[in-house]
Amino acid sequence: MTEIGLTWPKNFNEVPKAAFTRKDIYAEEMKRIFFGQEWHPVAHESELPNPGDFKTFRLAGVPLLIARDREGVVRVFYNACSHRGNQLETAVMGNKTEFECPYHRWLFDAKGDLVGCPNHRDFLPGFDKSDYPLAQPRFDSFYGLIFVTLSAETETLTEFLGDSQNTLRELLGGDGRLKLLGYQKVRYDSNWKSYTDNDGYHAPLLHQAFKLLNWQGGKGRQFAATKHGHICFESALSVVSGPTVLKDASLIAFKGQDPSVGSRIVSLFPTFVSTKHLDVINLRFATPVDEETVEVHYAYFAHQDDDEDMVLHRLRQSSNLLGPCGLISMEDASIFHRIHIGNHTPGNAIFQKGVHDQSKLESEFLQNDESGNLPRWEYYRSVMGFERAEA
Amino acid sequence: MTQTDTALEAALDALLLADSSALDGKDMEGWLANYAEEDEASYICRSAENSENGLALGFMYDDCRSRLEDRVTFVNDIWVGTFQDYRTRHFVQRVAYQRVDASTISMRSNFSVFMTPTDSGITQVLAAGQYLDTIRLEKAGALKLLSRRAELDTSVLPRYLVYPI
Repeated sequence: MTEIGLTWPKNFNEVPKAAFTRKDIYAEEMKRIFFGQEWHPVAHESELPNPGDFKTFRLAGVPLLIARDREGVVRVFYNACSHRGNQLETAVMGNKTEFECPYHRWLFDAKGDLVGCPNHRDFLPGFDKSDYPLAQPRFDSFYGLIFVTLSAETETLTEFLGDSQNTLRELLGGDGRLKLLGYQKVRYDSNWKSYTDNDGYHAPLLHQAFKLLNWQGGKGRQFAATKHGHICFESALSVVSGPTVLKDASLIAFKGQDPSVGSRIVSLFPTFVSTKHLDVINLRFATPVDEETVEVHYAYFAHQDDDEDMVLHRLRQSSNLLGPCGLISMEDASIFHRIHIGNHTPGNAIFQKGVHDQSKLESEFLQNDESGNLPRWEYYRSVMGFERAEA
Repeated sequence: MTQTDTALEAALDALLLADSSALDGKDMEGWLANYAEEDEASYICRSAENSENGLALGFMYDDCRSRLEDRVTFVNDIWVGTFQDYRTRHFVQRVAYQRVDASTISMRSNFSVFMTPTDSGITQVLAAGQYLDTIRLEKAGALKLLSRRAELDTSVLPRYLVYPI
């Protein structure tokens, strides 16, 4: 690992803006974080519900192929031929039980086995197809949510998730039996950390919509889980009552069962944000493109037990409420851009709300505290090897 | 082969251009005025990738007249002052049309939309794709959009959307 010169402020509530903009820091983040000891969600099994379904995804530039075989088993592969490394599958999603590399016609099944390659008599003596399956990264899943890690040393997925497991399981419908509704995909002109630092956490001051819609925030808790500083929110759902400016109030209607903890957010280090709000179930697969750009795939889901009306309600609510064009989130997207521009100035970003003592870290927060992000920043600092300044 | 109806084609093009002009002028009331008054009037903006994979979710899913009216409220009232504004220029071209019945026409058009954020001043392509329209021939002879699906080839947007495409 390369030592990167950046002195971290002594106060726990300050983050140097240079961490968001320096190319050398970005390159080191690739090594220490994205190829380091973290688990990265790349898909939910319900995105590929049928035998032969597949999805491709690039995790920090690494091409992945996630495929369900004829027997229903889902596996993650590197999306590159085991021969010369040619990108194997070009479609974003589809259904195939075999994948053929067009370069030399090597053919793989959805278990990753090499099942055919022409002219192998011309290959090295002793060539054996069974020595050339598709390579695989380590992967594991939690209620259908598939995680990949690019390091052999990473702890188990269960350890990685720690106390975020309950919130995440409930967010995934309680049992992970989801049904895909579709995607909204977007690139933000923002460093990946500006995105994750501001996506899960929502300052209600930002949301003019809440006021106009006569919508009060529900009571809730926020806590940090594991040394990674994953952030979990659990809040009572507040439902709009009284007059609203909307002519179609179904956009903000709640038709689900349990409003007492109707709103959940789980933000896992480094880039994953997921939310269940009203009847929207949304998993955001985010990956850095470069130090100035992050790409986010918002995937939306219904539950397999939903009746037709509920699926339609979720579809109509999901499309218009929480994504890059959504009623109460479009301005978040704008904030990612503006924070990133602002980070090209000297000094530190300073957290205030919920900070009681700047020389200490806490792990329980009020719902609207911005201090909930600080355990994650402390973990980031330690992984990156940045020394904290002396008092 | 449909016999060329130059008066009808001119009217279809006028509707296409009226929508582009309203959007580029950020005139949301004018945008709404291009849609039929019927309850089922709709505007859906969705990636072709979703459509081709049987996924109905959109970037914008305004499947009834009241949602079209709410879209005007989003832009004119709710979002004011919360985003970096951008100019758009829509380039549209009718590709094909077909009479469905005496009062309905279907039309397919190409679009490309340039975007210029006011802060950076750098122009880039916001989206390209096709409009799949159902058009109502009203009694007075006016043409209105009964349904429009903006189907985006651009499956990964380069920015959040404030205005419809």
